[in-house]
Amino acid sequence: MTKHRFSRLVGFRPVALLLLSGSLAGAGDADSPVISFRRDVLPLLSERCFACHGPDDDSREADLRLDRRADATAPRDGTAAIVPGKPDQSELLHRLAASDPDVVMPPPDSGKKPLTPKQVTLIRQWIEQGAPWSRHWAYEPPRRPPLPTTGFRDRVQTPIDAFVLARLEAEGLAPASRADRATLIRRLYLDLIGLPPSVEEVDAFLSDTSSDAYARVVDRLLDSPHYGERWGRIWLDAARYADSDGFEKDKPREVWFYRDWVIRSLNRDMPYDRFIIEQIAGDLLPNATQDQIVATGFLRNSMLNEEGGIDPEEFRMQAMFDRMDAIGKSVLGLTLQCGQCHHHKYEPFSQKDYYRLFAFLNNSHEAQPVVYTREQQSERRRILNEIARIERELQNRTPNWRQRMAEWESALGRQTVPWTVLEISNAGDNNQRYYRQEDGSLLAQGYAPTRFDATFTATTNESEIRSFRLELFTDPNLPAGGPGRAVDGQIALSEFEVTATSVTDPSRKKVVKFVRATADYSNPPKQLKAPYTDAKGKSSGVIGPVEYAIDGKNDTGWGIDAGPGRRNQARQAVFVAEENAAFPGGTRLTIVLSQRQGGWNSDDNQNLNLGRFRISVAPVEADADPIPRAIRSILRIPPHERSDEQIAKVFSYWRTTVKEWEEANRRIERLWSRHPEGTTQFTLQERTTPRQTFVLERGDFLKPLDPVTPGTPDFLHAFDADGPPTRLDFARWLVARDSPTTARSIVNRIWQAYFGRGLVETPEDLGTTGSPPSHPRLLDWLAVELMDHGWRWKPIHRLIVMSSVYQQSSHVSPAAFQRDPDNRWLARGPRFRVDAEIVHDILLAASGLLNRKVGGRSVYPPAPEFLFQRPASYGPKTWAYDRDGEQYRRAIYTFRFRSVPHPPLQAFDAPSGEYSTVKRPRTNTPLQALVTLNEPLFFECAQALARQSLVRPSKGDRERLTYAFRCCVARRPTEDELRVLQELLQTQRRRIQGKQLDPQAILMDAYGRPAERVAGVDDGELAAWTLVCRVLLNLDETITKE
Amino acid sequence: MRRRVHLEKASKTFQDVSRRWFLQQCGIGLGAIALHDLLPDSTNAAEPLAPKRPHFEPRAKRVIFLFMGGGPSHLELFDYKPALAKFDGQLPPAELIRGYRAAFINPNSKLLGPKFKFHRYGQCGAELSELLPNMGKVVDEIAIVKSMVTDAFNHAPAQIFMSTGTQQFGKPSLGAWVTYGLGSEADDLPAFVVFSSGKKGPSGGNSNWGSGFLPTVYQGVTFRSTGDPVLYLSNPSGVDAKVQQESLAAINRLNRLHRDAVGDPEIDTRIRSFEMAFRMQTSAPELMDIAQEPQHVLDLYGAEPGKPSFATNCLLARRLIERGVRFVELFHESWDQHGGLVRDLKRNCLDTEKACAALIQDLKQRGMLEDTLVIWGGEFGRTPMVQGSTDGRDHHPNCFTMWLAGGGIRGGVTLGESDDFGFNVVRDRVHVHDLHHTILHLLGFDARRFSFPFQGLDQRLIGVEPTRVVEEILA
Repeated sequence: MTKHRFSRLVGFRPVALLLLSGSLAGAGDADSPVISFRRDVLPLLSERCFACHGPDDDSREADLRLDRRADATAPRDGTAAIVPGKPDQSELLHRLAASDPDVVMPPPDSGKKPLTPKQVTLIRQWIEQGAPWSRHWAYEPPRRPPLPTTGFRDRVQTPIDAFVLARLEAEGLAPASRADRATLIRRLYLDLIGLPPSVEEVDAFLSDTSSDAYARVVDRLLDSPHYGERWGRIWLDAARYADSDGFEKDKPREVWFYRDWVIRSLNRDMPYDRFIIEQIAGDLLPNATQDQIVATGFLRNSMLNEEGGIDPEEFRMQAMFDRMDAIGKSVLGLTLQCGQCHHHKYEPFSQKDYYRLFAFLNNSHEAQPVVYTREQQSERRRILNEIARIERELQNRTPNWRQRMAEWESALGRQTVPWTVLEISNAGDNNQRYYRQEDGSLLAQGYAPTRFDATFTATTNESEIRSFRLELFTDPNLPAGGPGRAVDGQIALSEFEVTATSVTDPSRKKVVKFVRATADYSNPPKQLKAPYTDAKGKSSGVIGPVEYAIDGKNDTGWGIDAGPGRRNQARQAVFVAEENAAFPGGTRLTIVLSQRQGGWNSDDNQNLNLGRFRISVAPVEADADPIPRAIRSILRIPPHERSDEQIAKVFSYWRTTVKEWEEANRRIERLWSRHPEGTTQFTLQERTTPRQTFVLERGDFLKPLDPVTPGTPDFLHAFDADGPPTRLDFARWLVARDSPTTARSIVNRIWQAYFGRGLVETPEDLGTTGSPPSHPRLLDWLAVELMDHGWRWKPIHRLIVMSSVYQQSSHVSPAAFQRDPDNRWLARGPRFRVDAEIVHDILLAASGLLNRKVGGRSVYPPAPEFLFQRPASYGPKTWAYDRDGEQYRRAIYTFRFRSVPHPPLQAFDAPSGEYSTVKRPRTNTPLQALVTLNEPLFFECAQALARQSLVRPSKGDRERLTYAFRCCVARRPTEDELRVLQELLQTQRRRIQGKQLDPQAILMDAYGRPAERVAGVDDGELAAWTLVCRVLLNLDETITKE
Repeated sequence: MRRRVHLEKASKTFQDVSRRWFLQQCGIGLGAIALHDLLPDSTNAAEPLAPKRPHFEPRAKRVIFLFMGGGPSHLELFDYKPALAKFDGQLPPAELIRGYRAAFINPNSKLLGPKFKFHRYGQCGAELSELLPNMGKVVDEIAIVKSMVTDAFNHAPAQIFMSTGTQQFGKPSLGAWVTYGLGSEADDLPAFVVFSSGKKGPSGGNSNWGSGFLPTVYQGVTFRSTGDPVLYLSNPSGVDAKVQQESLAAINRLNRLHRDAVGDPEIDTRIRSFEMAFRMQTSAPELMDIAQEPQHVLDLYGAEPGKPSFATNCLLARRLIERGVRFVELFHESWDQHGGLVRDLKRNCLDTEKACAALIQDLKQRGMLEDTLVIWGGEFGRTPMVQGSTDGRDHHPNCFTMWLAGGGIRGGVTLGESDDFGFNVVRDRVHVHDLHHTILHLLGFDARRFSFPFQGLDQRLIGVEPTRVVEEILA
């Protein structure tokens, strides 16, 4: 990159035909003939000097700072590093130009290249000109520049053209002619919806001679539900979206609601500022909707390490660093990562600045609430309304219900059992980690073993212990809110065992025998099903009544599954000992919570572990309080202070105890049983007690330095908040109108998606060390345009695709290619291989196999099974092969294991979601050829394209071949191309007729089943066509945006 | 020589442009083109996989990394501690474990004496475990480093650290750096090949061989030791070699027609990619066919045709580097002995140590050892304290053992020393970054200058802290 910059600098020549002159405010001045500090000098100083003479206090040498003019020009020993107007007196210039290795800067052992003579001259001229100083372009908010004039006036269709054509002119280049219409419509389809047009769509466009034919296609595509899939995928790269945890276990996670939220939001053209605010702090918006909470999955897309032996806090911090990185790259377009360990060497961004930003994010639970699809939400609403209606009916029928409920309440009395909470500590191994909570409960985190015993010890001075109470609590950090760690928050307590040891005489021990167990709730006995089985599929047993926990059997356990909608509640069980468990003089209790009923594979989501729990003892025989904890806490509120909602909750419980309402209660139970199962989703939920954030020494979570408060760095725009700054304030700050990089960053990436490279080639870094923009004014103009259009993307898309620059032909002569191989100046249309997902989607769409359903759970297309087994995978993984059409969904829906990327996508450079990606590499490798030639699903595409071609009522090979060809590339084949195809078809027909090839073998689908046939077409013919269609699907043009 | 099928003669017009393009974009380099100098701050960007000259004359030209995933016990294999035997069953000194974080155990757990006997081997008289009799025969060829230190003590982060020099995901692996720096001499195989054997896959997953911010052409390509070595190498059902050849000829003819129309040399890259893929369909199975090896070579490794094993992978590693592959990495994830220390170490050594020794012998016989660097080791060592009752050890980052051989390494050297318990390094500490520095040095790089610009920084494998070349083990 550095090299690039210099070569351009050296090759710089004054340009006669300037864009409008005037102030150089805004995005800079790459078109100006005078020396520009920002463009020419700052990059040199930054690259060569700032590491030791920059903003980082800790690594500054000789107390010299060159990143600020006042410091650089300050007198030092009778001279100054820079004496404006006087290069010969400027120490900087002497040092840069010196040949003595002891004098020259940068020092030879720094690994930095010395300045070239031309660069030294440039610095000299700049100092001569008075060493004018200005801030890096990207830190000044963009202002709308005036449109330049251009000699190519007749080619200007949108303002974009004015900028690009003026620049072309300055380069002495001329724009290419318009692409032919078939190519153009295919380009448009691929860009806007990521799918190729059908032959019929191409024909409709070709025969539409009206002047707005193209514009209407644009409108239609921007309105298509597939638009959000195409552009959403780009955002998902930045959001490092994947369907699994990463690291060793790499367990599946449910996050596809977030993916669908992205698709839907883009389809609705949600303003980008809103889009960001909801992803950073949707949960904090007033009356946050489920969608807004789901949006916060953006930050939660970090990887999660739950291998045994980890400290969960260490990896929570790693996830926090990842979130900072993601916000830096995807929203700000700035590299923040350095600040994790040290001051930024090139930007005025200190380590403290980093942790002040970090502090905005550091106060959330790693929440996993249950969420519902649109259909489930309306079903759920219907059920809850119906229940409410029945309850109202009961109340209407019973005018004195309030009085009766009050009588019931007073009859209940207060709880009188004197429970003492034990301070239990983990006495087992360190696989699962336990965090003590303020209420004395333990929260289980980290690795979740299955089929294990959790052992705890506690010491107590109680002289009488007759009852043990196990309370289970919900917690935002548990799946579905808990109280268990199972994917739906469930538990199975196989056994509750206690051994008591005398503190004064450890030889005195007794195994406590339990004679009675009660619980506020136990589910009816239920056989556990997959995944709670052994490796052969045998069930881990039964869960049900709490007595199962003291029956001495490991395959029966206490279960609390109250079904969907009511599953995730605090519960309690009480176990009564046959005799006093205490010893005089103190008792040491060893409590084993046996949890033996998970599945066999602890590297998958198969645990039924207790998530958050507390253990108490009492000197009397006690029963579990039958009143649920939530109701109990309302009953503690004086009746006249209860809200209507609280009264309704008490009523809902009380009615279940009223005998004469049995029938109504049954009806309500039936309704509950129809409540939809939701899906969990990773989201943020703000903690009530804030975490203190510290600067961490070299990013080490065990080495906190100074405490910091949330705040933003000075070199960016001002931060505004009433009251203590919150994550929501931070989100709003990120997309404030005066943010210098936010709008530029996103329009740059939109541009990159169309043209293969951004206006700034380092989209992750618009800062001083990033590449300078090729068209700075255009970048600013687009950024302002975005904001002026309410931050909506679709108007920007329209501007781009309606431009003549976009519509240029991509054909190139060798000379023109040599002149601008990277097409930086856009004298031709973009031409490049499409992204991995679009490769997949093109092949499926062209062959007619594509299932165009939008949204839903991730799917499992064919993939080699060994990838999911050892030793390819760390642990065995489940790949639940889809067979009934779901395997033909768009690639955005393919399930993404971070540690086992789907091979066809990986081969074409799809990122694995391990970190935020704002620019994909684009390679062209033999492994890609093997994928498109031999991958079973893609071979099915060849069979399907053959079927599609053969079912057409047609006059012969020629027409059919033309059709198949056009399915792939839209345009018609040339005579030469047709000849190649016809020859191949004939050859393969002959080989099949000669029995050298077996059509039955060729006509197998990806799962080895006979492929679909075409009525009236013999297998030999279908097989021959399959082989020809395979060739068409493997053309460079098929997977290229032309 | 391997069979080479040319599908068609390439047209002259675009050949030069396209060759350059091909080298720039393709996952595989061309063998027969001239060496290019590696620029101090970037490689020759136009031809990333062309063979390149490093900063100075290299001692090693290629690398085989035997990655023992899980963390082998240095105390049972290389670092004999009589004192540990003596204090077996006693608690460790308090000052030793002050501030120590263990993964699973309470650091204040009893010391566990070494479970196996040690013997002296070779002329150098190095001490090796009785579990390593074959390694004993080649001990004069290897340099044992008993003073390795790493930063991480959980598997995935520690493996990523060993592989990339940082615990953060998204950084290039050692193999990617080496391929980036040296290019490839293989013309029909990937430059960087990875195998996996053992009980599980590597904890760090594919990030262990990822390219990070380097172009993806440098990432490792996973091979299987049975079945298709490379994914989708076999033709679909019913498609024979002739169909494949005719199909590719048609594809390339059509691509060429289109290139003549649109002029984009990227299409020539595509044509070459297809030609290369077709060649790989022949060369890769041929490579994998170890039945071609004489029986005594199979016996030397303990490899059996058709049977996936670490031994087979070692033999394949040799066959790969013979064909110009730059970096071969074998993961054997089986060394995480929290329990079953005795049984599993016996098993693991039976599975691996003969093949490791065979690899060295075989390379030496072929004259390839002198410029092939072989590295053996895991992501960390194991605690002198017991896990469980008497038969397990926990993860331990403070001290562990690795060995190196070949390419510029002085054989018969044992470097470094740990304390009486094998807990801390007391002499000649070698941090993972020092190991990386040394590997790059042997390959001809000044590790401090070997960098890639990304996110505004000149990123280096060895990071920013001071590191050193471990001169003591160099020949």
